[in-house]
Amino acid sequence: MNARIALTRLAAGLLAGALLQVGSARAAPDAQALLAAADRYRVEAADQRVQTRVETRDADGTPQKERLYTVYLQTGRRSLVLMRSPAEAGQKVLMHGDDFWLLMPGSQRALRITPAQKLLGEASVGDIATLSWSEDYRGELRGREDCEGTACLHLSLQATRKAVSYQRIELWIGERRHEPLRAELYVQSDKLAKRARFELAGTPARVQAMVLEDHLGSRRTTRVQYLSREARTVPETWMNPMFLARQPNLD
Amino acid sequence: MRMILRIAGCALLGLPWAVSAAERPQGELRLRHEVAGASRQGPLALVEALQPGAADTGRERWALEAGLRWVGHQGPLALGIDALAAWQAQDGRLRGRGASRLNELHLGLDAGAWQLSLGRKVVSWDVGHGFRPNDMVQQEQRRTLDGARPQGRPLVLVEHFDAERALSLAWVNPRHRDDGPDRAADGREAALAARAYWRRGELDLHLFARRGERTGASLGGALAAVASDSLAVHASLRIAARHERWAPDAPASGPGDLSNPWWRRRHGRALQGLVGLAWTGSQQQSLIVEAWHDGSALPDSTWTAWNARNLALAAAASPRPADAQAGLLAWQASWQTAPLDAPTLRRDNLYLRLSWQPGAWTLAADRLVTPADRGHVSTLSAQWQGDRWRLTLAGRQLGGPSRAVLAQLPSRRRMLATAEWSW
Repeated sequence: MNARIALTRLAAGLLAGALLQVGSARAAPDAQALLAAADRYRVEAADQRVQTRVETRDADGTPQKERLYTVYLQTGRRSLVLMRSPAEAGQKVLMHGDDFWLLMPGSQRALRITPAQKLLGEASVGDIATLSWSEDYRGELRGREDCEGTACLHLSLQATRKAVSYQRIELWIGERRHEPLRAELYVQSDKLAKRARFELAGTPARVQAMVLEDHLGSRRTTRVQYLSREARTVPETWMNPMFLARQPNLD
Repeated sequence: MRMILRIAGCALLGLPWAVSAAERPQGELRLRHEVAGASRQGPLALVEALQPGAADTGRERWALEAGLRWVGHQGPLALGIDALAAWQAQDGRLRGRGASRLNELHLGLDAGAWQLSLGRKVVSWDVGHGFRPNDMVQQEQRRTLDGARPQGRPLVLVEHFDAERALSLAWVNPRHRDDGPDRAADGREAALAARAYWRRGELDLHLFARRGERTGASLGGALAAVASDSLAVHASLRIAARHERWAPDAPASGPGDLSNPWWRRRHGRALQGLVGLAWTGSQQQSLIVEAWHDGSALPDSTWTAWNARNLALAAAASPRPADAQAGLLAWQASWQTAPLDAPTLRRDNLYLRLSWQPGAWTLAADRLVTPADRGHVSTLSAQWQGDRWRLTLAGRQLGGPSRAVLAQLPSRRRMLATAEWSW
């Protein structure tokens, strides 16, 4: 009898423990899964082409410049940024994980550049050419917060690679749909470089624009607008800097 | 043969070339104003002192330039054009369209990993900034004040690419025959050139080989690597079996000699090498440092003899000689400018470039130093880049001790202002 009671208590204890585990898992969802869910608002497919417009305004709102880019994002942390505006026409940046090349029109030379060089400009190449947090960052859930009346989750992201544009990102996503709402972007020295907020539109909802406020010096505002996204796998040769140096047709 | 090529060219131009949205015709209109200050030292200054107005030092120059770049496609074929039309005026006189040229006109065949190019095309392979010995197809002028686009060479180019490797084989200037050392010195001799490239993580590796009709075989190698988040390094080495350069009759002739002592001659082995680094700071500033040795430049002993001859001519010209003798001395002094027409003057060179990009501005300062005679070239530039407009102001000053070769070049200083509108 005593043995039956003991077994019943043990079973009840195990069941309660299991239920507590489930409750705890619900309370603290997997941070990487949340990042992957947030990525889906920016990434259409594993291999994709994104047309992007970048508008920069001075701190007082005066328009400073507008640039157009075509970005090919490919599996294996590879991306190719083609500059389309007249002032930069023909320039390209190729990224292979932590390796970067700059190609200038007419020079026929693929120039190796450092991770710091790709940060140049109000919207760094990394801002345009990297759309996946889950591949490059390890996330940690900080807790639930209120984001201007919307229940949101606060995630702290630490880079898993040295060459990413921002070593730490504080990210806020919607609690219910996990859509990205805003972020704070920190550079290697752990200085706050930019604040970002995300604008969503369309069905299904996608990030249509990312607005970056510079906090390092210029205080400029940069609006990165995603004009179109489509699945597109490019030939392997496009990922060779020497192939790009010969100024091939990339359309 | 030439007629057949022209007919084939016209037929190709007549094809309904498709132009993709991404490859629409592009170009720019550029207004350029340049002012040069003549040097008071050196052989050309002596010519001017002896016969005022004889030396064309070009003090003020205006230019209006229109550039056009276009790529059209017809199936796997591509036709590329890069052209420049220019109108120039010098010292108040219109010089017409002397600087107009076709930089590129080439037909391409895209067969996936294999690529074929035929025609005039710019091809450069080396990794350096100030000196690029392994540009084996053409040696473009480096460190120019106005950043002019280079002119391509006629060639047949076959290349194979995968994601990490590239192999290129070029037959350069295929229609040229061995018709003099000038072609070799200008890189216009017929030649076969090859380049192999491997990407190894943070390292780019290149191997080069060339066989020129006059200059024979040469081998080279280059690497570029990222050493840290903000530091990249590069290096280049080339060994040539032969090279062409200016050389004087030996021993250096005196002021009474009527013959031109300078000739382009073929010489033996030459070693060229460069090491460099590029550092980028967090405030959008960057530094490039390069040191190079060019064994194809004149040796120190020849420059010593050149300086001695300049001094002898200057001594003969002072006190002011009679007109007939002045003419003779000016004639001889003008020959002394011949070796100044070389891409590298002294064998050892050190180059530094600092730049900073605050917003739409790029501010840059650079200095080239020749340690052998302490000659130097200093450049300051400011550039503003808008959506379509680019404004540039640049100044260059040459200097050094009186015997420094750079201090004796015809122009002591140059100022350049350009306004460019891109479309």
